[in-house]
Amino acid sequence: MDPILEVADLSKNFGGLQAVNSVSFSVNQGEVLGIIGPNGAGKTTLFNLLTGFIKPSTGKVLFKGKSLVNKKPYRIVLGGLSRTFQLVRPFQQLTVLENVTIPALAHFKPGKSSRQANQERAAAILEDIGLGSKLNFLAADLSYGDLRRLELARALAAKPSLLLLDEPFSGLSVNEINTLIPLISRQVDKGLTLIIIEHKLREMMKLVNRVLVLNFGVKIADGLPADVARDEQVIEAYLGKGGGGFGLA
Amino acid sequence: MNVLLEILVYGAVQSAVYAMLALGFCLIFGVAGVVNLAHTTFFMIGAYLIYTLTSLANIPLPLGLVCAIFGTGLLGIAVQHFAIKPLIKSEYSVMMITIALAFFCQELVLSVFGPVDRNVKGFIDEKLTVFGLVDIDAQRILTLVVAVLLIVLLWWFINRTKMGNAIMAVAQNREGATFVGINATRIFLVVMFISACLAAVAGAFIAPTVGARPHMWENPLVRCFAVVVLGGLGSLEGTILAALIIGYTEVIVSFTLSSYLSELVILGIFMTVLIVRPSGLLGRRQEA
Amino acid sequence: MSNPMVAAGFWSQTKGLGPYACFLGPLLLVPLFIQSPYVIDLLILCNIYAVFLASWDLLTGYTGQISFGHSLFIGAGAYTAGVLNFYFKVPPTVTIPLGGLVAALLGLALGIPALRLKGPYLALVTFIASAIPAALTAIFWEYSGGEDGLYGIAPLTQSPLLKYYLSVALLVVCCGAMLAIVKSQFGLILLSIREDETASAASGINTSLFKVVTFTTSGFFAGIAGAFYAHNQLHVGTEELSLSLSILIVLMSVAGGMGTITGPIFAGFLLILLNEWLRFIEEFRLLIYTGAVVLILLFIPKGLLPTAKALFKALLARIRRSPQPEAAGEGARSLNRAASKQ
Repeated sequence: MDPILEVADLSKNFGGLQAVNSVSFSVNQGEVLGIIGPNGAGKTTLFNLLTGFIKPSTGKVLFKGKSLVNKKPYRIVLGGLSRTFQLVRPFQQLTVLENVTIPALAHFKPGKSSRQANQERAAAILEDIGLGSKLNFLAADLSYGDLRRLELARALAAKPSLLLLDEPFSGLSVNEINTLIPLISRQVDKGLTLIIIEHKLREMMKLVNRVLVLNFGVKIADGLPADVARDEQVIEAYLGKGGGGFGLA
Repeated sequence: MNVLLEILVYGAVQSAVYAMLALGFCLIFGVAGVVNLAHTTFFMIGAYLIYTLTSLANIPLPLGLVCAIFGTGLLGIAVQHFAIKPLIKSEYSVMMITIALAFFCQELVLSVFGPVDRNVKGFIDEKLTVFGLVDIDAQRILTLVVAVLLIVLLWWFINRTKMGNAIMAVAQNREGATFVGINATRIFLVVMFISACLAAVAGAFIAPTVGARPHMWENPLVRCFAVVVLGGLGSLEGTILAALIIGYTEVIVSFTLSSYLSELVILGIFMTVLIVRPSGLLGRRQEA
Repeated sequence: MSNPMVAAGFWSQTKGLGPYACFLGPLLLVPLFIQSPYVIDLLILCNIYAVFLASWDLLTGYTGQISFGHSLFIGAGAYTAGVLNFYFKVPPTVTIPLGGLVAALLGLALGIPALRLKGPYLALVTFIASAIPAALTAIFWEYSGGEDGLYGIAPLTQSPLLKYYLSVALLVVCCGAMLAIVKSQFGLILLSIREDETASAASGINTSLFKVVTFTTSGFFAGIAGAFYAHNQLHVGTEELSLSLSILIVLMSVAGGMGTITGPIFAGFLLILLNEWLRFIEEFRLLIYTGAVVLILLFIPKGLLPTAKALFKALLARIRRSPQPEAAGEGARSLNRAASKQ
């Protein structure tokens, strides 16, 4: 079976800064890949490259066998690759329901998808995510935890085959994270492939099959969580020379 | 030869005026990040204030000039504090309120002074002959001299004084500046004051040659906005360069072809720059 | 940062045709009660301005593409009609749609480069874009009539009554179309573009397409109204291309309530009628009027109509003494606003 995502020698430099340096990896369908690395390692830049918000300097990206390079972001989403943002980006003056209806409208064909059907789909996703009682709330009035869920709901409404989550647990309490994790797992069980950037390693490890480590734009490790946690280069990157392990195994 | 010299001199005057007007606009944008569409209103107010003081109240010209400039500066502070500050979070809102104020001031001036052009007293009424060949109003040459002086003064102020450095610090990194103890709010007020004063000077010196009208702020607004963008929003050197380009282009086309055409050419330049290179000549390049 | 001057959509809660009928009914019946041609003429002007304002709101209020050059479209429509009629005796039934078409093409031409510009840069390009035709009319003054413009444009019809109903038809057709657009799923997409274009693109929306289409549509309706205006005034001149007109449209729409279509229409009627009623203080009416706009922008940023609606709803809720999600939201928001006033 071909991997759903293949990245080969992907690089991006901004002027003199090499943000992503010759990164290669692949993801199989149904896998959950975690991407970790110190701040500034190039993780979000990698996401921006994969989703078409930035053009790569060199390299190839194949999604479901087709090249993504130079495709417009909205086309990539329509092809089945969706993402969330590190800092939530809700449509402030729209209601929760309206927020999640938008991705459905992206597949909009006049006369073919009715308002009713789209709203029902959006409502179902929101029910699943736990925002079913707040459909008519303005996004601007939501709490941070709810905004994170909204972000997730919106990304799911785009009917992705591959979902990129950029620090989905950032700013959430342990409780909030623990309610979010099963929601995400359920999607994976339904066949969704996931790539997660996170700093909260312990929580992330509950979801991922594999971990990829970036440091200064370079991939320094790629493998099972336990193996990565013991990798010397990784430890050095996070903790400096002579640091202990992560306690993740 | 004569024509060339004429172009040289008139071009210099025109560029100087644009520079004086645009620098203030550039300062506010660079420092406060605010697009103050009421900027040329200060230009108009400067003109009308000096008219009122010198022609109506018969105050001697130098004193009237100082009062007009200072008064406009204070008005600038008032606008910053009461109109811009409350809405500073949204770029759009600031543009709306400042354009609304510009309109309001236009109507105010119209109500008080009527639609007729007002003759503002100039400093020198004679004509000069520059380089022995070029006839020009002495007022225009004076304007050029004053503009150059002010630009040099501004440069010195920004680069050599503590306040000037503070202004640049805020322009580059507002948060960082507050961390080292710079009061950003006070800096904005200072910048607004300077900016309004510069506009008022331009108004006071130009008005004798073109007269004062309630609509005199409209055309200069588009011009000065565009000059700043051409030069690169946030770059004072760029603004001066752009002012030179636009000033000379205008004069050259007016002299050689027609003044209507010069308007079109200038607009064309602005349009092209905006579409092709919005960051301007010397501006900071912005990623999408 | 979200623009505080834009009203919350509540798009998903469609309210039916009731309120529109209340507004339209009296409008249709006015000539039965009022014979004064002066009032009728005023209302015709209101109808035309309503389309000017609504078409602006469609562009700026709904996609967030700030336009300070709306007179470009109005003037294009007006001059197309004026020139065609003055020189070639083309009748209004043809010049008006053509005016709309020309303006629409300009909207397309402007909308495409506008894609790469944001905020102040976009505002500037619209300023400039509307100044270019004005400069052209000066250069080709022999054909365009220069600053004075062209007089003697054919009227729409000889009968004032018919003229009135034609203007109402203009209002209903154009504003009706625009309302239908914004209340449709298309409209929701536009709102998402305004709120956060990146997030909208990340949701799969082809934002560039929608932005250009809206520019074109906005231009189309403004052009039609501009052409209509030329035939109504029997004259076309540089005022239709002026910066003053553009700014007036911006200010009136914002005062009425951006992002609602109905708000600007309301503002158009209110301000034109107010303008006339203040004629007794001729000297100061525009002053009062612009002063009022400044105050509205500072203290009622969401605009007159949305604020009035919200107050009305809050009042109703208090009378019924039953909490509604909208009222709760509004309360929380005004608390937030009061709190964040520091």
